[in-house]
Amino acid sequence: MLTALLSYLIKTMQYSNPKIPEGINTSKINPLKEFIVLAGGIIVTTIVVLGFLIMLVDFFADKIPFSWEQNIPVSKIVGESKAQATPAYLQNLTQNIAQQMDLPEGMDITLHYMNDDAVNAFATLSGHIFLFKGLLIKIKSEDELSMVIAHEIAHVKYRHPIRSLSHGAVVSIVLSLIGSSSSDAAGGLLGSSSMLTALHFSRDYEYKSDQAAVNTLIKMYGHAQGAIDLFVLFKQELQSSEPVELFNTHPLTKNRISQVSKIVKQSSVEGNKILTPLPKEFTRWLKEIPNKD
Amino acid sequence: MIDLIIFMSLLALGYGFGQYTEKKHYKSIKQRELILRSVPVIASRIPPHGNPNFDSQLVSGSVVISVDYFKRFIAGLRGLLGGRITSYESLLDRARREAILRVKREAKDLGAEMVFNIKLETASIHKGRGNAIGSVEVFAYGTALIPN
Repeated sequence: MLTALLSYLIKTMQYSNPKIPEGINTSKINPLKEFIVLAGGIIVTTIVVLGFLIMLVDFFADKIPFSWEQNIPVSKIVGESKAQATPAYLQNLTQNIAQQMDLPEGMDITLHYMNDDAVNAFATLSGHIFLFKGLLIKIKSEDELSMVIAHEIAHVKYRHPIRSLSHGAVVSIVLSLIGSSSSDAAGGLLGSSSMLTALHFSRDYEYKSDQAAVNTLIKMYGHAQGAIDLFVLFKQELQSSEPVELFNTHPLTKNRISQVSKIVKQSSVEGNKILTPLPKEFTRWLKEIPNKD
Repeated sequence: MIDLIIFMSLLALGYGFGQYTEKKHYKSIKQRELILRSVPVIASRIPPHGNPNFDSQLVSGSVVISVDYFKRFIAGLRGLLGGRITSYESLLDRARREAILRVKREAKDLGAEMVFNIKLETASIHKGRGNAIGSVEVFAYGTALIPN
């Protein structure tokens, strides 16, 4: 019965074969414009929100007592590193510099020597500072060495290690809350823009430490030629392979040099820039120390 | 930095080739739709004319089409922000029209007057790739009416 009715209806219907207009099922949006709006929106929002959160934890990280850092077992911080006994000269120099830098009460600096060819030095939690052989053998004067050590002590003084750690924690907590994995497009974009935000703070810390180190250098030697020499050394070391500053933990060397020159100009310390040589025993010790492996 | 350069070149490549193939495909779709207009395709389950002087035969057309890197990236961003995934709309539009065109082509080769009861099926092909759906299959089938 129903079938008969349907056939009747179909028989009496008017058929036509019109040309279907275009663009019914698609959107007329320029894909490039859509890409810029979407990606730009995500990047800007991440930078603003994470920047704010990082500033917030940065404020509180400063309030964590240094003694809490010191309660962490040393083996957890230093780990199974290739750290070796450091010569008395390095230890004494470090203590001298630390005294010049007005460290807060109870903030002790521990120096570690790493028998490794990396041209590097770093500071980490609870005042541990690591100097690499690769950097020490390139250094020509005590001024440069003091610059390195003072820079790392400044990191400790301003609590940069624990601050950076809290930045990293904020970034990973936020990313995991959103539930993004770097495998998908949105997650990758979120991850890289939050990394860029954290890097901005990292470079800021380098400038701050440079500033404190240069001031210490001026206090100790009456000039800051050691800082300039050190950065010139970095420049030779990196040659032209320095990447874009935006993607880097450290500022570009030329920007660091210009900051140093600015500080030198402000403190108006001209005059003799005689560099203090490294003691003979120290350079000999450095040469005689067997390479790793 | 190198990652960024690789990513940007992949996006640019995806955009360039994707847009080029899409334009080309739409051009060919429009041309063939004009040619095959003489074979109407309708969704009715019952043949329109009660005329019994017709043979009927199943005709089908299947097409598999892939997204480009750029489209997939935009769709991924939409996964976070929501909204119309415009980059996939044109992809599926092309696939559906192409599948129906293949049905029409087959029907015309059989000498059919029209195709009724047209159905469309869609399947996404993402074996082992989880959410990163790369390509879709659209399968169209219907009954061709061939005058005897």
